[in-house]
Amino acid sequence: MSKIDPGMAAMLDAYLFENSSLLEQLDDILLRTESAGVFTEEDINEIFRIMHTVKGSSAMMGFESLQELSHKGEDLFFLIRENKIDDTSFVYDLVFRMSDLFKEEIDLIQTEDYEPSDFSDIIKELEKGADILAGKTAAADSSAAPASPVAAAGASDDGAVADFGADFTTVIIHFESGIEMENLRAFLLLNKFHEETEVADSFPKNVDSDPSTASIIADTGFRITFRAEDKEAIIKLLNVSLNIDGFDFIENPAGAVPEGGIPSLAVEVAPAPKAPVQEVRAEVRAEAHDAPADSAPAKAAANNPIAGMGGATKQSIISVNLAKLDQLHDIVGEIITTESMVISNPELEGLQLESFHKAARDLRKLTDELQDTVMSIRMVPLSGPFSKMNRIVRDMKKALGKDVELIIEGENTEVDKSIVDNLNDPLMHLVRNCMDHGIETNVEDRVANGKPEKAFIKLAAVNASGEVIITITDDGKGIDHERVLDKAERLGLLMKSRSDYTEREAQNLITMPGFSTNEQVTEYSGRGVGMDVVKQNIEKCGGTVTVESRLGSGTTFIIKIPLTLAIIDGMEIEVGGTVFTIPISMIKQSFKVTEDQIIRDTQRGEMIMIRGECYPIMRLHERFNIMSEVTNFEDGILILVETENKAVCLFSDKLIGEQQVVVKPFPPYFSRYNIKGAGLSGCTIMGDGSIALIIDVANLIEN
Amino acid sequence: MTEAKSLALAKRGDKPASSSVARTGKENEVTKVLTFLIGEQVYGIEIPYIIEIIGVPPITTVPCYEIPSFIKGIINVRSKVVPVVNVRACFGKPEIDYDERACTVIVSHEGVSVGLIVDQVLDVSSVSEKHLARTPELNHVNNNKFIDYILEMADGVKLVLDVQKLIFDHDVAY
Repeated sequence: MSKIDPGMAAMLDAYLFENSSLLEQLDDILLRTESAGVFTEEDINEIFRIMHTVKGSSAMMGFESLQELSHKGEDLFFLIRENKIDDTSFVYDLVFRMSDLFKEEIDLIQTEDYEPSDFSDIIKELEKGADILAGKTAAADSSAAPASPVAAAGASDDGAVADFGADFTTVIIHFESGIEMENLRAFLLLNKFHEETEVADSFPKNVDSDPSTASIIADTGFRITFRAEDKEAIIKLLNVSLNIDGFDFIENPAGAVPEGGIPSLAVEVAPAPKAPVQEVRAEVRAEAHDAPADSAPAKAAANNPIAGMGGATKQSIISVNLAKLDQLHDIVGEIITTESMVISNPELEGLQLESFHKAARDLRKLTDELQDTVMSIRMVPLSGPFSKMNRIVRDMKKALGKDVELIIEGENTEVDKSIVDNLNDPLMHLVRNCMDHGIETNVEDRVANGKPEKAFIKLAAVNASGEVIITITDDGKGIDHERVLDKAERLGLLMKSRSDYTEREAQNLITMPGFSTNEQVTEYSGRGVGMDVVKQNIEKCGGTVTVESRLGSGTTFIIKIPLTLAIIDGMEIEVGGTVFTIPISMIKQSFKVTEDQIIRDTQRGEMIMIRGECYPIMRLHERFNIMSEVTNFEDGILILVETENKAVCLFSDKLIGEQQVVVKPFPPYFSRYNIKGAGLSGCTIMGDGSIALIIDVANLIEN
Repeated sequence: MTEAKSLALAKRGDKPASSSVARTGKENEVTKVLTFLIGEQVYGIEIPYIIEIIGVPPITTVPCYEIPSFIKGIINVRSKVVPVVNVRACFGKPEIDYDERACTVIVSHEGVSVGLIVDQVLDVSSVSEKHLARTPELNHVNNNKFIDYILEMADGVKLVLDVQKLIFDHDVAY
């Protein structure tokens, strides 16, 4: 961090966060517009805003190379915006590359000994791109209307007021004296003008990139020529704009300027248009002082011009330190516990407390709401990491020449923030893997197998059986387990004799460290580290990754993430005083039975027939070895639970109710004991402060 | 207190140390020990390990046959799930019902928090070197594996527990 001013260090976090999210937004827009084939005006404005904010904040932080890079990118979109160029296809690769370099640089900035990278190559290319765009513009201009802004602007670089005809009018804007950064203010204003009207010309030029223009603006004001018909809107705009001291309209500028002096002699001409203007200016100033503008609230914004730029679209999202959320969550839990201690305090027993109970109910309602809100804060949808895959698929599609469609399902499934962070890398590796190894290189191979030419990769997420299950499916060539075994044998990765491996086990060998069947290392995969990283990262958050594949028809990677802190809908049941929670998603139904419905087999096994199907009964009090008074089927209740390949009726004392719960893992102290094997996946703290155990249905009924 | 803390910290850094107080060698250096009763015997735990002392809240049993019986289950300590160990059972003494004097002492070591259920919490004693009893071959005495050092004080003998072993050394315990 040697390059960063110590005073700026505090702002670095904000800078990094903001720019990373802006660049992701940029990618999103680009991907969307690329597939749509056209930039809407809104998109361009948004891109422009992003580029500009990035540039501004980079400049503020003193990252000159980044500033220059974003400036060039901005130029490109400036041309696209100003000239309504339709064919922009070549821009995408350029801008994607720029955004990648930017992200890399942002990563670098976070390292200890950051040295600014050299972006001259990409900058040259961006310039070239800009030239091509500009070239197109020029060609278009010669045939199109002469009032085209860029062409006109070229004619008036000398500072004189050019004549754009009666359709246009010119205004000179003066900022409050001594506010500084006039050029950036002028630029912001200019952007607002663009929203309101067609701007034909402005002076000085390049206010956004040339700080020296600030003094010119301070001295002579900022001049903008725009469509006369929008004058009223502009006056309105100027009246509400900040830090503007006054503005003067120059009607029919050509008449005000001595003939012949317009384009040729800059030095002589410069004072000429000033003369008539000065008087008007004085008048407007006087007016402005009579009716003081709304300059007071402007000060705050003025101190932070960068923030002002970003303000165009208000951000409704803030970033919060995760530790603070954890703390908040704990406090809420404590409040709820304390609340029930107060409300059901034994000392209140037998008292007539009407208004107390009413107040207590209100309090309970509020704390419930508070708990729900706090729970939801930590949860983020998977759409973030999922949509990043769009970009990877796009890039690899081009590089590998494979026609692949990415299908995304269930991206609204919410998981804990910390899990999302751990998912990015695994997902990237798996998608790359599918693209590189999974999908056939030759379309003919696909067609020969009766598959459509266009391949697909499907990313899906579901919240099932208390786990978040993410699947990455491709319809490619599948995994040849014989080849996997060959390779594993060669690498010495086999743990038992080759013939002992089932097809499934063999396929899962590919997640071993150092395994890669791709003989050739490509840019994207083949180094044998990808799957390893996947496994490690998933295991870090306590999950598992498995492979299911059928040779010839495709591969599915299944990531199962335990529900650390995930919220599930649970059914609370009681067994001999202990409260258990069963994920609602696993429950098919619950019902009362009579003794005569029970079928008993020869080995004390109990079963029940429901709609023609026979289900075994598992007595939870026996399974968990809990003393319970409820042992007759008539007194308790049966709950039919189902996993993929098994269904069982659980016998419990009673149902308590349905509740959303935050799943907490067992304390690490228990990690040496096989609790999961016992059929418990975690625990949850309930509203009254007691702890319920969450049943892991799959493990419970399969072991 | 800062001295006591540094003493305890030095001790943690030097694991496994049998007797840290003895090693400091200075008469005046003290640590503080929370003392409590199991049956008739006074035990102690050095203060820096202790997070808090609460009553005995409702305990949720974790039904898993692998978990030894002296680990009673889990409790909710201000929204944190904390395992509880019955020290009595851990020492192989017969369990008794929790009365109003029974307490859960929450201790923390290496980031792991555990609640220890004791019969009764007594007080906090200042300990200096002169209180240290010589304990030759302590570890050879049966049932003493959890004891770090022994104090001989005016009001009796106190056994200071080794929290590390008490929390983690289960496989040898019964």
